Amino acid sequence: MEKLLEVTDLRVQFKTERSIVNAVNGVNLTIHKSESLGLVGEAGAGKTTTAMAILNQLANNGKVLSGDIRFKGESVFKMPKRQLQKIRGDKISMIFQNPLTSLNPVFTVGEQIAMVLRHHKKMSAKEAREATKELLKAVSIPEYRINDYPIQFSGGMRQRVGIAAGVACNPELIIADEPTTALDVTIQAQILELLKKMQQDYNTSLLMITHNLGIISELCERVAVMYAGRIIEYGTAKEVFRSPLHPYTQGLLGALPTLDDQKERLTAIPGRVANPQNLPDGCRFHPRCQHCMEQCTHLAPIMRKINEDHYVECFYAEESEK
Amino acid sequence: MVIVLFFVALLAFVLMRLSPGDPVRMYLPEDAPEAAVEEMREKLGLNEPYVTQFFRYINDLLHGDLGTSITYRKAIWPMILERLPTTAKITLGTVVVGLLISIPLGIIAGVNQGGPIDLFAMFFALLGQSMSIVWLGILLVFVFSVILGWLPAMGDKGFVFYILPSLTLGYPMAAQITRLGRSGMVDVLHEDFIAATRAKGIPDYLVYSKYAFKNALIPIITQMGLTIGTYLSGSVVVEQIFGMAGIGQLLFTAVGNRDYPLVQSLLVFSAAVFVIVNLIVDIINSIVDPRIKLE
Amino acid sequence: MKKLLLKRMLKSAFFVVGLLTTLFILVMVLFAPAITPYEPNQNSLTERLQPPDWSQGFDGHLFGTDNMGRDLFSRVLYGGRSSFFIAFTSTLLSAALGILLGLIAGYYGGIADVIISRLCDIFIAIPSLVMGIVVSALFGVSKINLIGVMIATSWIKYTKIGRNNVVVARSMEYVHASKVLGASSWRIMIREIFPNVTTPLLIQVSQGIGSIIILESTLSFLNLGIQPPDPSWGNMITNGRNFMATHPWMVLAPGCALMLTVMAFNFLGDGLRDVMDPKRN
Repeated sequence: MEKLLEVTDLRVQFKTERSIVNAVNGVNLTIHKSESLGLVGEAGAGKTTTAMAILNQLANNGKVLSGDIRFKGESVFKMPKRQLQKIRGDKISMIFQNPLTSLNPVFTVGEQIAMVLRHHKKMSAKEAREATKELLKAVSIPEYRINDYPIQFSGGMRQRVGIAAGVACNPELIIADEPTTALDVTIQAQILELLKKMQQDYNTSLLMITHNLGIISELCERVAVMYAGRIIEYGTAKEVFRSPLHPYTQGLLGALPTLDDQKERLTAIPGRVANPQNLPDGCRFHPRCQHCMEQCTHLAPIMRKINEDHYVECFYAEESEK
Repeated sequence: MVIVLFFVALLAFVLMRLSPGDPVRMYLPEDAPEAAVEEMREKLGLNEPYVTQFFRYINDLLHGDLGTSITYRKAIWPMILERLPTTAKITLGTVVVGLLISIPLGIIAGVNQGGPIDLFAMFFALLGQSMSIVWLGILLVFVFSVILGWLPAMGDKGFVFYILPSLTLGYPMAAQITRLGRSGMVDVLHEDFIAATRAKGIPDYLVYSKYAFKNALIPIITQMGLTIGTYLSGSVVVEQIFGMAGIGQLLFTAVGNRDYPLVQSLLVFSAAVFVIVNLIVDIINSIVDPRIKLE
Repeated sequence: MKKLLLKRMLKSAFFVVGLLTTLFILVMVLFAPAITPYEPNQNSLTERLQPPDWSQGFDGHLFGTDNMGRDLFSRVLYGGRSSFFIAFTSTLLSAALGILLGLIAGYYGGIADVIISRLCDIFIAIPSLVMGIVVSALFGVSKINLIGVMIATSWIKYTKIGRNNVVVARSMEYVHASKVLGASSWRIMIREIFPNVTTPLLIQVSQGIGSIIILESTLSFLNLGIQPPDPSWGNMITNGRNFMATHPWMVLAPGCALMLTVMAFNFLGDGLRDVMDPKRN
């Protein structure tokens, strides 16, 4: 399968007034054409940072320390700005997390969709307007609302506008950054349906960022589990969910209530999420790991292939698979 | 709104009546006999109880009659109209000067936060806000009239005469707008939707000048409304310094002469202009920002 | 927290420059009698219209003399004294009045709020200079009246601070908690709400002093402020205007003093805002 996006050993650092934050610490990811990859992790794991890095749109106080991200072979960090801007919104588009803040309040929703069409597809105002109406229809928003402002829409509808803008130019990769986190459960389902449909209709690759494992199993072929700025487990969703190898992944799955299991208690992962301002030595997860071994406290494990569909970065997992 | 005007009229009325100084005595020659003074007082209706005077005044106002000036013995409304163009032209000039540089400067400064243009803009703004209109006007006259001889120092009969007054009032306004623009831009640029717009590949210049700026516009419009609405203030000084026959100068003389009707009507007129301007501003704001609802 | 404040203070050029300049000016003005040998109202026929003379140090006429032979440097310093006296007194009083009214309006709401808000609307509709002219011209020009005028024009900004903070704070949990625990209204107002007021208050005060100084000098320029022969930067400009073409220092000295002083306070105000509320930067 053709490689669309390749992230190689990415390290990103943020400087604030009070401290230095090591948000991403050596991430390796590949997304293929028409593939949907789920990126899972808790808040602060570095998921959004990775996403923004793909578009080379980190905040001003953020710095890429090392590593590279290549889109169709070309580095997004090295390409000229014009080329980058041509890719953004057209070849790679992003759907943001908070629908209440990701739309410009003083412009109509129509304008916010049409702008990408006018800019990337060079459509005239009239053409863009017609195309926008079609897009609104596709996301189940009545056409006549094209001149309404974001304030007049609910959160779910605003997110749909965001999706419409995201698929407008038929991109090759959609990055969805927790698109349903800020929404009601019932609306969540609708949005996910929509995303699934968009992905199938347009045959786009999808990078689905979420902390919700249920969504991954619904939408994604592959999954990457992220912790403290690194990918610690990777593989097909089927494999990883069937037999999670990393204690963290096991914890995440164990924390899910299921209807058919005979579980009496949900497992909670002890301790607190690693602080990117002050990361532990060795394996980042070791302070919370019940299988922590001596080497875990001062040696950092690296990603090892377990089988075709399953990779993991953990000394304990390696041991148990032998 | 109407209540505000009512209270302004009341305030003006009360102030005038409370203050020492008798307009009738000021108007008549010093040695005028008591009888003549009484006669004039009666003629002007100033011997009636205050309450009656006030309600007569309000009644007149409601019928569009702004009264008669004691000093000039002319109807006030035509007097205001006669001098209005001068003051209006000064105000217009002020707005042009005030907006011309400040908007682009504010935008660029906000975008280039911390950069050289930002520092220049901050300094430009601080300087403008630290200038007393008096000092600025006189300084401008000194440089452009006395030293360079390019522009006239006094008078109001022609376009050239309005340049220095407009600069005098316009620079402080430009200073304020630059600040508002800058801080507005800085605030907006941190918003999620700007990141979203950038992520759509929209070129920077559009992101800044169109999609970001419109959000920063509202405080600017509001501020402009306040500044235009208080035009009278600046006018008084500027018309004094540059010898122009506008409404400001009229007010100044009227106060000195204790010309009750003139002062009252000028204040009410000024407040009315303020209220109307702010109404227009509110309407414009609700068009620019759909989140604002008109009441 | 304190350490952070200190770090920010030193980093902010505006703050440092503003603070130093303000202190310098205040010191000069306060110690005027010790600095200059001349009296501000001391006429001298022989020394009329002298240009600035720096050769004799403080004994010479540093800024020259005016048409009555009075030493301009001394007049500038003493004029500053009057201006500062009026500015500080009225700022203090209007801040106190304004905040009090704001707190009352915000906390009690209801009719108190309506009345006070309407009052604000009315006072805003009358530009400060106009109000100053009207009041000064009508009621005479004593220092007390001037202070009264200043208070009348500036109390509104402080009311807004008081009121906004109450409205915000009221909805906060800790106020509810205090009330539940039985604290009286006054106690709540002072202990919980007031501390949030200090930052915007300080910033507003340092910016407010600048505008009051300007207002006073404008009124003095129009002969409605400090009356001659007592010096004020405003009336010095009025006087010096007539001699501008030939003896510009008579106008430049007070004008520059005015400009630099207000700039210093504005720098300080801006710097203070950067230090206390850096997210705005």
